[in-house]
Amino acid sequence: MLHVENLTASIGGTQILKGLDLAIGEGEVHAVMGPNGSGKSTLAHALAGREGYELSGRVTLDGADLLDLEPEERAAAGLFMGFQYPVEIPGVNNMYFLRTALNSVRKARGDDEISARDFLGLAREALELVEMKQDFLNRAVNAGFSGGEKKRNEILQMAIMQPRLAVLDETDSGLDIDALRIIASGINSLRGPERSMIVITHYQRLLDYLKPDFVHVLVDGRIVESGDHTLATHLEDHGYADFVNHDLDDVPDRSLSGAAS
Amino acid sequence: MTVGTPATAEAARAPVHAGSNVEAIVYPTRRDEAWRYAPHADLGRLTFGRPADSPGDAPLGIEGRAPVIEGLRIVVVDGRFDPLRSDLADLPEGLELLPLATAIEERPDDVAAHFAADPNEPDAFVSLNRLNGRDGAFVRVDEGCRLEQPIHLVDISTSRPDGPATCTGAVIHLARGASCSIVETHLGTGSGFGGSNLRSTITLAADASLTHVVLQDVPAEQIQLTRIEVHVAESSHFRARAFNLGASYGRLDYRVELIGEGAMADLAGLYAGNGDQTLDQQITVIHRVADCTSRQAFRGILDDRSTGVFNGAIEVSPGADGTDAEQSNDNLLLSTRAEVNTQPRLEILADEVACKHGATVGQLDDDALYYLRSRGVPADQARQLLIAGFAEQTVDEIEIDAVRAWVAERLGHGAVDADA
Amino acid sequence: MTDQRLELEQLAEAGYEYGFTTDLDTDIAPPGLDEGTIRLISAKKNEPDWLLEWRLKALAAWQAMEEPDWAKLEIDPIDYQSISYWAAPKPKPQLESMDEVDPEIREMFDKLGIPLHEQKMLSNVAVDAIVDSVSVTTTFKETLAEAGVIFCSFSEAVNDHPDLVREHLGSVVPVRDNYFAALNSAVFSDGSFCYIPAGVRCPMELSTYFRINSQNTGQFERTLIVAEEGSHVSYLEGCTAPMRDENQLHAAVVELVAKDRAEIKYSTVQNWYPGDENGVGGIYNFVTKRGRAHTDAKISWTQVETGSAITWKYPSVILQGDRSVGEFYSVALSSKRQQADTGTKMVHIGADTTSTIISKGISAGRGQNTYRGLVKTMRSAENARNYTQCDSLLLGKDCGANTIPYIEVKNPTAQVEHEASTSTVGEDQLYYCRQRGMSEEDAMSMIVNGFCREVFDELPMEFAVEAQRLLSVSLEGSVG
Repeated sequence: MLHVENLTASIGGTQILKGLDLAIGEGEVHAVMGPNGSGKSTLAHALAGREGYELSGRVTLDGADLLDLEPEERAAAGLFMGFQYPVEIPGVNNMYFLRTALNSVRKARGDDEISARDFLGLAREALELVEMKQDFLNRAVNAGFSGGEKKRNEILQMAIMQPRLAVLDETDSGLDIDALRIIASGINSLRGPERSMIVITHYQRLLDYLKPDFVHVLVDGRIVESGDHTLATHLEDHGYADFVNHDLDDVPDRSLSGAAS
Repeated sequence: MTVGTPATAEAARAPVHAGSNVEAIVYPTRRDEAWRYAPHADLGRLTFGRPADSPGDAPLGIEGRAPVIEGLRIVVVDGRFDPLRSDLADLPEGLELLPLATAIEERPDDVAAHFAADPNEPDAFVSLNRLNGRDGAFVRVDEGCRLEQPIHLVDISTSRPDGPATCTGAVIHLARGASCSIVETHLGTGSGFGGSNLRSTITLAADASLTHVVLQDVPAEQIQLTRIEVHVAESSHFRARAFNLGASYGRLDYRVELIGEGAMADLAGLYAGNGDQTLDQQITVIHRVADCTSRQAFRGILDDRSTGVFNGAIEVSPGADGTDAEQSNDNLLLSTRAEVNTQPRLEILADEVACKHGATVGQLDDDALYYLRSRGVPADQARQLLIAGFAEQTVDEIEIDAVRAWVAERLGHGAVDADA
Repeated sequence: MTDQRLELEQLAEAGYEYGFTTDLDTDIAPPGLDEGTIRLISAKKNEPDWLLEWRLKALAAWQAMEEPDWAKLEIDPIDYQSISYWAAPKPKPQLESMDEVDPEIREMFDKLGIPLHEQKMLSNVAVDAIVDSVSVTTTFKETLAEAGVIFCSFSEAVNDHPDLVREHLGSVVPVRDNYFAALNSAVFSDGSFCYIPAGVRCPMELSTYFRINSQNTGQFERTLIVAEEGSHVSYLEGCTAPMRDENQLHAAVVELVAKDRAEIKYSTVQNWYPGDENGVGGIYNFVTKRGRAHTDAKISWTQVETGSAITWKYPSVILQGDRSVGEFYSVALSSKRQQADTGTKMVHIGADTTSTIISKGISAGRGQNTYRGLVKTMRSAENARNYTQCDSLLLGKDCGANTIPYIEVKNPTAQVEHEASTSTVGEDQLYYCRQRGMSEEDAMSMIVNGFCREVFDELPMEFAVEAQRLLSVSLEGSVG
């Protein structure tokens, strides 16, 4: 359903992705692992359409050419991005945000707006999934949320948006063991034959819960190794040393947040 | 309005007969925002004219009231350079330090800008200083020269009966990569009404760094106006620390323009008034270009019937994106008849900016007082401790021990210790 | 509760939607202002002598005053002699019931979304409708009368309750208070009057809708609200005007009197015609609003200012009585070439008085937005408290935002805190919303509405919806 061919991405003249290929089939869960600065977050943002990158290559989602689309059009095409750093939007009610998002996507697909009752039902289910109380929806989007609450909110949004493809960027970072379990079981219960996922992570512990179908190792802007979930175990034991070139550019993972503002 | 003086070296040398020009100068009124809380009647009583040909007759030892700073010193009395009290021996390489009157003669090009009228600046007292402030100090630090010892500029006004208010100028230029510290101390003698009107123009070339300290402590009968105009070029750093303590009306007026990318201005000040003093801070920091940083942190302690004024502006010009500016003004009112007027202003014409400001007015924290007293500190001393703590922020980062000691002494508490 | 409040997606059309004019047969005085004009207005309205004298005193004061120039506003000179100071839809007989309201006027208000017909009305809002300075109808009068509440046009009040009017008129805003207040005092033609007896909680929201319809007229209405001891009233004010190429002057005065333990909540959604992208036309909105709060009384101003070419207004509270409370919640938007210089004055006189100021300024297009506010604590104001928060949002390269607070403290037990920030909508916020499928415009609108949330939460429900909608319409085209 997703095909990535020879994708390159640069920012401010620094090339981060250097020709990346990836194919994801229906219902598959792919983990992308790699050391800091290897380009994991850049891959996620290149798929989601963040401005500020120079891109080349070809990316199709269900046949549609993603790189030509605006971020909201990609969302309408079924792409959901779980942010590593979910953004705070003061004063905007979480529930209202979600309903507007869902209705925007439905509208773009030619569907009717969801009724308030149906939406509430959907929201309740999603709340249960991430083990949050109703008042979670009445707070402003991510404003004043703890790190764990922010990540749960991402999964809650995914549950409501019901995407074709979810790209989860370090959804496990900064979580304690309980929050990790909740997030992981949330993700697991959202798996299905018509939903694929790319799970970007540093650590094996999330993958222990998820048991991805494939694991890819991203080093220096390229996928250098692919395998099943045992590859993650290997990485946990041996690190990335086997895959890392000695002349690896040290591009910080968050380089974009400064440059694109 | 302003008396125009052309920006030429010729003009800098030209004799000025202020008497014939005074009527052309329009005094500010309460309607002028920058002069809203000034004592206009008293300001009107000041007369202005050319200084006498020789320095005034200040009592011996008056400079002892200034901090004892080792090294180079220019002393100006009643608007005239006083060679006997000054010390210009052993100038280090890369430094030029001379009386402003000498610089007008010998270096007219380098002081022309100081005397050039600015049509956008209608301030009457700036114009009067430009006309009458023909002496003072000239400081020039050469490229790459980093001076270790501070330079001390001392201005003394003797408030002679019927004499004009004294006008003094300082022209300070740091060339590329230069750095130094300059302390300006403003003192006065006599017990009568009088005034002094000081003006410094400071230019920092790229990568320069200046720490500029003002210590204002003239007698409580005198009016004291200090104006400091600063241009900060790219990657330069202007750090100001001001102590506005003396005078019936002590006015401290900064106008700082950040004109090169990456420039930084860091201004902090303390005003502490008692009796009937009015201490007025007028601070304008202008971000002309992108990616500059500025900080304003001014604190006031007002006792008796004194009045504190803070009118601070952050102005961000169109295109000055990436501006990072902050401003704070905190005040302590120690008496039921003291008064604070604060006006922290933001004027923003660029869109990618992060500016914030805050102002507070309050009294000493009762809980803190109680806490100290419960630990056995007598009430008076507890008060002093808390006041010293409030003042500490401004004193804190000054590296010149003599200045720290002077401030602590002047504020009447040893808590701000000189060797910390 | 909140999710149905924002219906931004309905905002298909840009531009000013209240720009129509209505063909009313109007009684209009020739332009010009002198003693004769005042006498004409007073005679037209059959006023008592004391009021005529009061007006003449104001005229004399105004003639001796100068137009203020301290605001950060660029104002084309106003020719006060070219304005007509009296325009009234005619005829205006005494109305027996709402059904007698001129059908054209009714239709105009229907178009504005304010049905005057009682059957169609919002069930809990009484409306005084004012067209070109003259009150055309007041609804729900009888229901209010049962509670002892007087809500009528100013003219009626002068007629029917002269003592109440005479006692309070000018008691909060004296005739020589400022240039525009003096002008209003001389020429005001009508307005709303509201009186809440002691201990009464007004059974419904009271509302005035102002509409400028005629050309070359100024609108000078006067509102007076008197809340007796322990009473409570919530008052709403809405404004629109047709699109015209020339500037029109609106110089109103609002006076609030909150007696001991009384509470007045005054909300405004101001959407006068703002002029076009080139700054042609639009209303000059120069308004003096002030309340006096007695012991334990509370006055709360909430305003959403999206209209007018120029706004000059500082709704204020004189905190006279001990423990009185003043509040000011404001959203001011300047887009196109609009200029706003607005804020509040909180004057603390009584002990233990508290005031809160929350101001949200939004600048877009070539708009200029200035917050100007005074917090003053007098020597008598023991333990006075103020908290002020002023936030500015800049949308675009050509707009400006200024924050000019004046804080004057004469009592050492007072605590005053002022915080302000200026920022722009974050790229990351927009991206986050767009990743969730929202268009850039919707995302911007949502973020800006969130920025204003604290103020919108203070508005009565109907006004909150209206305010959010207005904000979104006014912002259209400001993105990108």
